[in-house]
Amino acid sequence: MSTSAGSTALPRLRPRTRRFRIGASQAEAWLYVLPALLLFLLFELYPILANLWTSVAQAKGGPSLIRYGEAAGDPVFWLALRNSVLWVVVSIAAEIAIGFPLAVLIELGIPRGRAWFRTLLFLPMVVTPSVIALVFTTLYAPDYGLLYGVFRSLGLGGSFPAILGEPALATYGIIAVNVWQWCGFFVLMYCVGIAQLDREILDAAAIDGATGFARVRHVIWPMLRATHVSLIVLGTVQALQQFPLIYLMTQGGPANASQTLATYIFQTGFDENRMGYASMVAVVLFALALALIAVEYAIADEWWGKLRAGWLKGDAR
Amino acid sequence: MKKLPRPLARALLAATTALGLSMPLAAAHAAKTVVTLWSWSPVQSTTQAMVAAIEKAHPDIEVRATIQPHNPYFTALKAAAASGTLPDIIGLPPGAFTQEYRPNLMDLSSVAPALWGKDWQKNFAPALLTQARLGNPKGDQGFYMLPQEAEVLNIWYNRAAFAKAKIAAPPKTMAELVADAAKLRAAGFIPFYQGGGTELFDAWVYMQIAAQTDLKGLLAAQEGQPVWTQPGMVAAAAAWQRLFTAKVVQDGALSALQYPTGANLFAAGRVGMISLGSWWLQQTALSDNPALKTMSGYGKFFFPAVSAHSHVSPPIGGIDIGWGITKTAQSSPAVTKAAQIVLKELISGVGEQVALDQLNDLPAFHGMKPSHTLDPHLAPIYDSYIAELQTAHPHAIGNPVIFDALVANLQAIAAGQKTPAAGMAAVQAVAQKQAH
Repeated sequence: MSTSAGSTALPRLRPRTRRFRIGASQAEAWLYVLPALLLFLLFELYPILANLWTSVAQAKGGPSLIRYGEAAGDPVFWLALRNSVLWVVVSIAAEIAIGFPLAVLIELGIPRGRAWFRTLLFLPMVVTPSVIALVFTTLYAPDYGLLYGVFRSLGLGGSFPAILGEPALATYGIIAVNVWQWCGFFVLMYCVGIAQLDREILDAAAIDGATGFARVRHVIWPMLRATHVSLIVLGTVQALQQFPLIYLMTQGGPANASQTLATYIFQTGFDENRMGYASMVAVVLFALALALIAVEYAIADEWWGKLRAGWLKGDAR
Repeated sequence: MKKLPRPLARALLAATTALGLSMPLAAAHAAKTVVTLWSWSPVQSTTQAMVAAIEKAHPDIEVRATIQPHNPYFTALKAAAASGTLPDIIGLPPGAFTQEYRPNLMDLSSVAPALWGKDWQKNFAPALLTQARLGNPKGDQGFYMLPQEAEVLNIWYNRAAFAKAKIAAPPKTMAELVADAAKLRAAGFIPFYQGGGTELFDAWVYMQIAAQTDLKGLLAAQEGQPVWTQPGMVAAAAAWQRLFTAKVVQDGALSALQYPTGANLFAAGRVGMISLGSWWLQQTALSDNPALKTMSGYGKFFFPAVSAHSHVSPPIGGIDIGWGITKTAQSSPAVTKAAQIVLKELISGVGEQVALDQLNDLPAFHGMKPSHTLDPHLAPIYDSYIAELQTAHPHAIGNPVIFDALVANLQAIAAGQKTPAAGMAAVQAVAQKQAH
């Protein structure tokens, strides 16, 4: 009996014990996660859902997509959308084009004082956008700005463009300021990435004849894939949510030429008191960010896949 | 009984004394009725002086004033209205802004008779009262704000710059304006500073011109009627464009700011002409420069006639700032009463007197005048403003969506992206949509 009872008790005990343990650890896990989860639900998910609802809610009747239809015929909306995409493409391309070579130069070309250069390039990141906007607005100013002074001293004062006052140039003028501010961050991230590269691979590549530009192009650049992807995603989010520089330098003007979705949300919501329409623009901005990041990941994966396939082919030979 | 150590006894005595002394103070503080006030104007230093004067006149009232720049102020106001945390008194411009907060504001027409008597409306210029109700729903005769200060828009000019450029008198026609701008430029000055990046001043220059080319149209447009494509309105847009194509305004004007850049450059003597208004007289209290302190170095004129068929612009202006009492002030009878007292002092009492003595702007309330004698140079300018205010036409567009469309299209016209007709057609389309 006792043997039989013991033999029957054991299999029962195990699962009970396991269930108990799993339950406790789960409860404990939820307890740890709960504060962050509550904050996430309250300050992230709820506002997103509330904003989504506001974008379709009507004063009379049920929800409607009428504002989305209205946006289709709103030229300022399309201009803002175009400028938002332009911000992402031009900012990231310029920041990588400037940041990557500088990082290579600092990490591989400068034997001493790397930290000093990295700090110097990172400095604009710690300056508030309002100060930067004020400084660059003055720098760009025709007639009394510093850049105008340089042009005038070269005898080119007459051909100095009114960068922020010219609809065709205003957006690029502000993007240039953004690139100036964020380049240091890209340099820093690339420096970290390069410093973490396996030196043996670099040395082996050098023995195989990959030196100079070839080493940068065929070895360092592909090996920094994770850094590229991180920077592109971060750069996309940063460019899409850029508001202070644009608002302080041009307020989205002249003639809405530098309007982006972020500034258009402010204009329609706070200047024009059209919260429903502003919510709709915010939903579009959210969707655009998701879509761009998904595309970036897809391209990065495909690119990485091709690269790996090429390497494997090379190994096979 | 064991005695306390001497240092501890002393400390206890000091603490007890301090507590005893502070209790009456705290009680006195608690007895004060606190009135909260937010605004973007007058400037911080003037507001502080106004508050001090009101608190001195009413020791039982404490005014907690918060002054912020224009845009952050209205953003904060919107958030406070949404969260039910508006202060008791808020500063408001007429039209769209007042209408936005109308549901949160008390109707002052029921309060005003108790403050200024049965005929209280006679204390304000009729045009100001009309503006105070701008945008009210049909049939709503309530006053949700009452004006403290009023303004008149005009062009200011620097006499020294004009003399150096050999310009004898301010321009009376567009042709003279263009010629004078060229002379000022040649003499090394910014001819006509336009802060094209400051939306309000683009709209105001356009409205000054439209007031001479189609006054009826302008007034109708301000009320939201879609009349932007009337010939006079398009003619005003064409004259606005000419300011840029004929190089009357400075290069890159569309990126420039009227405040602080334009005003500072004008005060520094680098600008020949600029569109400002009666509030520029504030400089007499803020500056040590004799030319500004007495305004002896500066003069004013209205926008020159843009065609052979038109005349110099008539004055446009109206309410600079008004005050509304929010429903927050109804939290207790004491706060309601205190808020009404503060309102009266701001508009016609010691508060306004302080602002007026600093020539912050023109008084909206009849009979208020600076308590000191004005400089002989300054007095005629001030008096002319007071006279012009009585006949000034409104200068506020009631609908913010139309306002934004107007500014964006004026900028497009100035940049040469649109013709005046096309720009005004775009504003018309927005106005028609809003009318529906």
